[in-house]
Amino acid sequence: MIDLQFIAFLFLLLNVAAIAAVTVIYYLPERTGRLIKISRACKSFLLYETLVAGALFMLLPFYWMVVTSFKDAEMASSPNPIFLPQHMEYRYPANAPEADQQAVMVLSQRRRQGETVDVAPVEDVDFVLEETDGITRPRLQPKEGSLFQVDPEMLASDPVNRLDGRNFLVAWFRPEEATRGRVNFGQYFWVSSFTGIVSTFGTLITSALAAFAFAKMRFWGKGAFFYIVLLTMMVPGQVLLIPNFLILAKIGWLDTYFALIVPYLASVFTIFLMRQFFMGVPDDLWDAAQIDGAGRFRFLWQIITPLSKPVYITAGIFLFLGNWNALLWPLIVTSSPEMRTLMVGLQAFSQDAGSEFHLLMAASTMAILPIVILFFLMQRFFIQGIARTGLK
Amino acid sequence: MTGAQKRRMRDQLEAFAYLAPAGLILLIFWFLPVLLALIVSFFDATALTPIGDFNWVGLSQYTRAFQDEDFVQSLWNTLNYTVYSVPPTLALSLIAALLLNSKIKGRAFFRTAFFLPYVTTWVAISIVWTYLFNREAGLANWLFRVITEDILGGSYQDLAWLAEPKGIFEMMFGYTVPDLALGLNAIPEGPSLAMFCIIVTSIWRDIGYFMIIFLAGLQSIDHSYYEAADIDGATPFQKFWAITFPLLSPVTFFLLVISMIGAFKIFVPMLVMTPDGGPDGTTSPIVFYMYSIGFTGQWELSYASAIAYILTIIILVLTVAQNRVFGKKVEYGQ
Repeated sequence: MIDLQFIAFLFLLLNVAAIAAVTVIYYLPERTGRLIKISRACKSFLLYETLVAGALFMLLPFYWMVVTSFKDAEMASSPNPIFLPQHMEYRYPANAPEADQQAVMVLSQRRRQGETVDVAPVEDVDFVLEETDGITRPRLQPKEGSLFQVDPEMLASDPVNRLDGRNFLVAWFRPEEATRGRVNFGQYFWVSSFTGIVSTFGTLITSALAAFAFAKMRFWGKGAFFYIVLLTMMVPGQVLLIPNFLILAKIGWLDTYFALIVPYLASVFTIFLMRQFFMGVPDDLWDAAQIDGAGRFRFLWQIITPLSKPVYITAGIFLFLGNWNALLWPLIVTSSPEMRTLMVGLQAFSQDAGSEFHLLMAASTMAILPIVILFFLMQRFFIQGIARTGLK
Repeated sequence: MTGAQKRRMRDQLEAFAYLAPAGLILLIFWFLPVLLALIVSFFDATALTPIGDFNWVGLSQYTRAFQDEDFVQSLWNTLNYTVYSVPPTLALSLIAALLLNSKIKGRAFFRTAFFLPYVTTWVAISIVWTYLFNREAGLANWLFRVITEDILGGSYQDLAWLAEPKGIFEMMFGYTVPDLALGLNAIPEGPSLAMFCIIVTSIWRDIGYFMIIFLAGLQSIDHSYYEAADIDGATPFQKFWAITFPLLSPVTFFLLVISMIGAFKIFVPMLVMTPDGGPDGTTSPIVFYMYSIGFTGQWELSYASAIAYILTIIILVLTVAQNRVFGKKVEYGQ
């Protein structure tokens, strides 16, 4: 086997050299005779080299997260990392009876020497989900006629030691143990999706109405109101935590969906963004709509809204993302496990699972996945939305 | 009332009806709380004392904050985080934007790769980096072990990255720092190694975001400047300092301010990576301290409110500074 560590090191060295060289060559004067051609070729090579190194640095943690979520506990906590899935070797639980452990060692040794061994320990055990007292637990069960006489009790006590893709299932149900069977990741996903969707649509509606008034209507106090609304952008959200907590406690909304949705049903940033867009809609359209007998609301709903799809999508993405990623507010207003959002659940899980990194990585992968999918579907809007904020 | 007056009245009411939904939410959950927080910070309320049993204590919550060693430490930590995370993030994202601001193959791929960390959630990536910085199983220790032991032939003592309170400069250059008052030292010891790990994580996360904004800024620079510079035979180095950098400076300044504001509000990576405030409390920033004062332990809501207000004042100063410079360029008007 080629030494992966050595390759990694060579690559690292090459990149440090590349970054140094690219800085030097980039600043060479263009007119240095014969150097030009060399420096051009060199430059483009080193440019890619640097970019690849940068991309690797950015993507490596993701790769590591995904790969680790397919490992077993022993591999995930090994000081010698295993980079490629095909080098993974699943073993029996560390606390399996000694005789079995020896058998496993002999078998894997023989396999490593190139021998075909009929019965591999991995294929010898079944994975079952078992519900006891309302708590779903994954369990390993020796197959019938197994070569190994594994004590099922032993396996059940440490079931996650020998799992591959099943880490996801184990992680999914693990919160049930800490909460006596009340919730698993399904509930966290539900709370996050529900509050995310409801509050995104709600905020889009309230913002569109307000933005429409600011962009297309004339009324007394317009300038003052708009300035007041902009002022709220200056106040950091952290100062609102305690008073909002008190207000919700007074209304009796703590630990309900209302607490997660209602306080953030208005977004100044969205109002601002939409107002900019609505102002670009020509007033002639409003005149035409009036002639056709349409009122203001109909004008907003049937003419402006279809024209402003991009801004709705951009704002919607950022609202949903902000809601999905919020941690501090949901952490404060939720107390029962049923009301935890995915981020609060994940944070609780990370305190809970401690150093079971294979499970933590599986849970992180699950939490990131919907957002990454959304990003790849809507990439254009993401990038445009962010690029716009810098060019106000 | 004349017909015109009636119509104006009706328009006025209609406008208020359109503003009402967002306006009510902002009133109840933004304006009212800002005042309420100020009022609460003058009392000695905790979540455990019943309403009505609070006492007016004036400004003593604020004076208490500056005598509270833990708070001063958290202020210092926040400052450390800001000073050591903002400039590298800006520099690296500018470099990335410059590299990507040319016609190269795979531009979309690189842009996506650099941007991806920003999309993913703080909680999840903090968990991933906690693993990378783990003492026994982390990639960081493995990498340094391979370099020092296998390649250079030295010996490497595994670092306890997220549990190491020593400052990074202190560790690198091997001096010990005499401890003066208020965490101020004669020689800078740097952020603790644990804080350094969090800084690395946040740089990794934010590069893509700033890069996108820098790219938009670069693309808005008129190309004819570069053509003129080419005719004069300017080097790329000269072109950067004479054209790109000055024309990009509004964007750079904007990013500097928003990233500083963001840095003062940092909370999540600390909560996930060092849930107990870090070694010797060196990774607990202001918001983290506010959270642990207000929503754990004694639930001292008033004291936490005072801390939140101190943070607000810091951020307002930064925002006003931004508006001073940007006021003329940004059109907020009608």
